[in-house]
Amino acid sequence: MFLAWQEIKYSKTRFALIIGVVILISYLVFFLMGLAYGLAQENRMSIDKWDADGIVLAEESNLNINMSMFSKDQIETIDAYEKASLGVTSSVVQPQEKTDEESKINVTFFGIDKEEFIYPGVIEGEGFSEENEVIADISLRDEQGINIGDELSLAGMDLTIKIVGFTDNAKFSVGPVLYTDHPTYQRIRASGFGEREDEIISAIAVRSDSGEISDITLSDNELNLYSTGEFISNLPGYTAQVLTFGLMIGFLVLIAAMIIGIFIYVLTLQKSSMLGVMKAQGISSKYIAKSVVGQTFLLSFIGVFTGLVLTLATGLILPAAVPYQNNLLFLVSITTLLIVVAVAGAFFSVRTVVKIDPLEAID
Amino acid sequence: MKLIELKDVKKTFKDGRKTIEALKSTNFSVEEGEFVAIIGPSGSGKSTFLTIIGGLQTPTEGKVFIKNDKFSELEEKDRATKRFNEIGFILQASNLIPFLTVKDQLRLVNKVEKSKIDDDKVEKLLSELGIDNLMDKYPSDLSGGEKQRAAIARALYHDPAVILADEPTASLDTDRAFEVVEILARETKKKKKATIMVTHDERLTEYCDSVYTMRDGVLTKNQ
Repeated sequence: MFLAWQEIKYSKTRFALIIGVVILISYLVFFLMGLAYGLAQENRMSIDKWDADGIVLAEESNLNINMSMFSKDQIETIDAYEKASLGVTSSVVQPQEKTDEESKINVTFFGIDKEEFIYPGVIEGEGFSEENEVIADISLRDEQGINIGDELSLAGMDLTIKIVGFTDNAKFSVGPVLYTDHPTYQRIRASGFGEREDEIISAIAVRSDSGEISDITLSDNELNLYSTGEFISNLPGYTAQVLTFGLMIGFLVLIAAMIIGIFIYVLTLQKSSMLGVMKAQGISSKYIAKSVVGQTFLLSFIGVFTGLVLTLATGLILPAAVPYQNNLLFLVSITTLLIVVAVAGAFFSVRTVVKIDPLEAID
Repeated sequence: MKLIELKDVKKTFKDGRKTIEALKSTNFSVEEGEFVAIIGPSGSGKSTFLTIIGGLQTPTEGKVFIKNDKFSELEEKDRATKRFNEIGFILQASNLIPFLTVKDQLRLVNKVEKSKIDDDKVEKLLSELGIDNLMDKYPSDLSGGEKQRAAIARALYHDPAVILADEPTASLDTDRAFEVVEILARETKKKKKATIMVTHDERLTEYCDSVYTMRDGVLTKNQ
């Protein structure tokens, strides 16, 4: 480390440039990761919020909750530790006094039963108790400026709903969720299929006491049980989006490693006559190689951590509408991965160091 | 005591189908406190000779002994360790590491063997060579003569048995060259080293105890 550090101190500009490149790349990687994670979360966070082990959908729905539709009475055919009925429908709402296009908000209604486990924890205001009252995701307040007591009208329907409470982490398909009771949900959904005698729901979230969905049995073969994980990865666009981001991040990590590796390699080549002299003086290849690897570690460590700090700082000043979110596990693993992969890139140069012939330094 | 001893050492290279004898069978030794100069035209085999003694290449035949140890028979890695401990190299110019101060050049030796730097020893050595005021300077701030003194300090610092100097005055003017050789001679006597200096400048040999001439791979002692 002695040689590595002294050299960095001596050639400040050169190493500052290399560190600068590492900072930029790691900043990009971290930031992209935050966006990818945030976006993925906005697709699934309301589902994670249920903390369910599995979900029951209509057999014909092909795992698409929007296409799933069955009678609420069918909940009796499921034998599970805990069950929660859920009606899902997307809609467009607009604050009552407004008429412009911009103020229209795409939302998803979750029709739920107050006694069942999907019912969300209210962080502001109170729960719904009468028809047409809803608990909304807090983003409606943060991004749209809607407050408790505000009334929203539904597009294409003669119906207004009233915000009575807010909950957090309630987003579905990157839009806010409005929780309401089943009767209200039936009316909203009825605009799609007309009035019906029986109550219609989309899904039933289930929990088993062991956490295994194999303990849950269904006696109605119009329904199918899926694990929550399977359901999430089949959300429209979810897997494609996660894979796209994952691939980009993976490639960026590799590119970062190659750039650092190439820089260190060129520096090593430039120094080869000096390294030859050192070898002639009896300093082992091992010591020199350690110093090269140590230097790479220092450069990537400083670069990656500065990138990380910049990312966290950027995260603080981003507007709420940007789906950026940190995840400790991902931050730690990307940091480690970037450094490990960069150091691995330095092993190119180790071969060069070993091959340098001290004899050439003398002649 | 013989610090350097060569017994029937010979070096041949293959050049296509021809075999070139870079160094013909040579017997040679240097006592402690002895300063030897080797002169001769370029391409005569002086450098080959020096690098064989320094263990940078092995002889085709014969043996090299450093402090009575069979140096040339050692494995590459052990030879490097022995070189680090017992041989100080002084080269034409690029001997110093550009990003280390004079003091740090010496500290590197401590770092490699994981010991603490001895400040008194450093100060004493550098003031003997007249460069104690340049301790915190980088090589790029030193003149040619100062650089070579720093290189001598680096070579002597580890207290090796043998000093090998390859054209140490090549980049210096006459006055500086004499100064550097005088220092080398003085330190050789005082610290009881065996020193070999390869040079093409015969005037510098007045400080040496014995002078050899290398011609076409044959080493002969001058009278």
